[in-house]
Amino acid sequence: MQATTQPAFFKQGPKPFSRLLIYASLSLALLLIDVRWHILQPAREIVSVALYPLQWLATAPVSVAHQVSNFFVTQTALQQENRRLQDERLLANAQLLRMQALQQDNAQLRQLLVARDTQGGRGVLAEVLYNDRDPYTAKLVVDRGEQDKVKPGQVVIDPLGVVGQITRVQPLTSEVTLITHKNQPVPVQVVRNGLRGVVFGAGPQNPLEVRFMPVNADIRNDDLLVTSGIDGTYPAGLPVAKVTRVDRNAGSAFARISCEPAADVDMHRFMLILDEQRVLPARPPEPVADKKKGAH
Amino acid sequence: MPVSRQLLKHVSFSFILFTFVVAVTTALIPWGSTIRAVLPDFVALVLFYWCMYQSRRIGIGWAFWLGIVLDIADGNVFGQHALAYCLTAWFVLARHRQLGMFPLWQQALYIGPLLFANQAIMLLVRLATGSAFPGWYIFIGALSGAIFWPLLTLILQLQQRSEKRAEIQS
Repeated sequence: MQATTQPAFFKQGPKPFSRLLIYASLSLALLLIDVRWHILQPAREIVSVALYPLQWLATAPVSVAHQVSNFFVTQTALQQENRRLQDERLLANAQLLRMQALQQDNAQLRQLLVARDTQGGRGVLAEVLYNDRDPYTAKLVVDRGEQDKVKPGQVVIDPLGVVGQITRVQPLTSEVTLITHKNQPVPVQVVRNGLRGVVFGAGPQNPLEVRFMPVNADIRNDDLLVTSGIDGTYPAGLPVAKVTRVDRNAGSAFARISCEPAADVDMHRFMLILDEQRVLPARPPEPVADKKKGAH
Repeated sequence: MPVSRQLLKHVSFSFILFTFVVAVTTALIPWGSTIRAVLPDFVALVLFYWCMYQSRRIGIGWAFWLGIVLDIADGNVFGQHALAYCLTAWFVLARHRQLGMFPLWQQALYIGPLLFANQAIMLLVRLATGSAFPGWYIFIGALSGAIFWPLLTLILQLQQRSEKRAEIQS
């Protein structure tokens, strides 16, 4: 061994071999302690904090290079990305709008489902295709026709009340005459006292009115009018209108009674065609001018 | 040319410290695992260099503490680098006078196996503590370290060489 034969003036403290023994056993001890008991973790953390500047120094060039390359992203790349993002935003907006419309449709369909169940469960759901082109008439065209066994005279309702009546049926579509159609009659009954009457439409922009009601008839504001079921066309008990104004003018034979429809007549996209025809005995052939029939 | 023929200047302690800091920093650079396997262990090389030429100042104590630092930086088992560096640094210290007279390529022949031994000791420690065998590529660093040794010696001696060689030799 070289170290043992050194002259005295080359001596360097403890001999290297004994140092080796000391440090080797020390590191072995550290190894065992760390593997067995994991108690050196705090010391490790402290020293690693001291090492942090060096680690930063080692990783800094990499991150700086990264930043520099980021800085020199070309203008065109940014523009392209901007355009792409704007396109995506437009698309997303359109989808969002459709989503909202679908949500409203869904809510309405659910209400109609409830309405159909309360009406004995028979009926055909119909979607409004378009308004009638004639601005003077209050008519709709819906997407159910003879194929779906729709017949003229069937009642059309929405979740809130009567909307109108099927008046013309084509193979695939049919026409609904709304209760607001001029002179479209609906036989009704006041819920409060059972007073019968007939509600007539007064044109698309005007409210409904109850005609042929004596001046002294017991009818007030906010009275609810439901179908009476008298003529067999309309099932009894469907909400039709609510009285909004009663004019009792002594100069005329009848009171002027204005009502507003219970149903959102011109608002919805989905309606229910009720399939509930009451079979009545044939009308006695007396030539009496009775109430007009609902269906033409 | 045998290195011992040259008369080297006194080395300041701050320079030794600086070289160690640089070596540890290169070890801390987040290389990929393959690059890291191919790259030589700079800390070990610098340590061997100073053990060879400054054996009075840099010894096994330094080897131990450098190993501890690397263990902490890597998050390895505590003491694996320390043990390996202590053992191999002792082999350099025991022969440092002899080694100083060798030409650089012969020094490399001695240094290469020591680097190999470093990896072998660390591999044994890891296997003993339950790690899986990573593959033979971990020994490539020993070969590249031996190749790099002459270059490292020349670089580190740049600062040590005396500018006025003729005057000193006379």
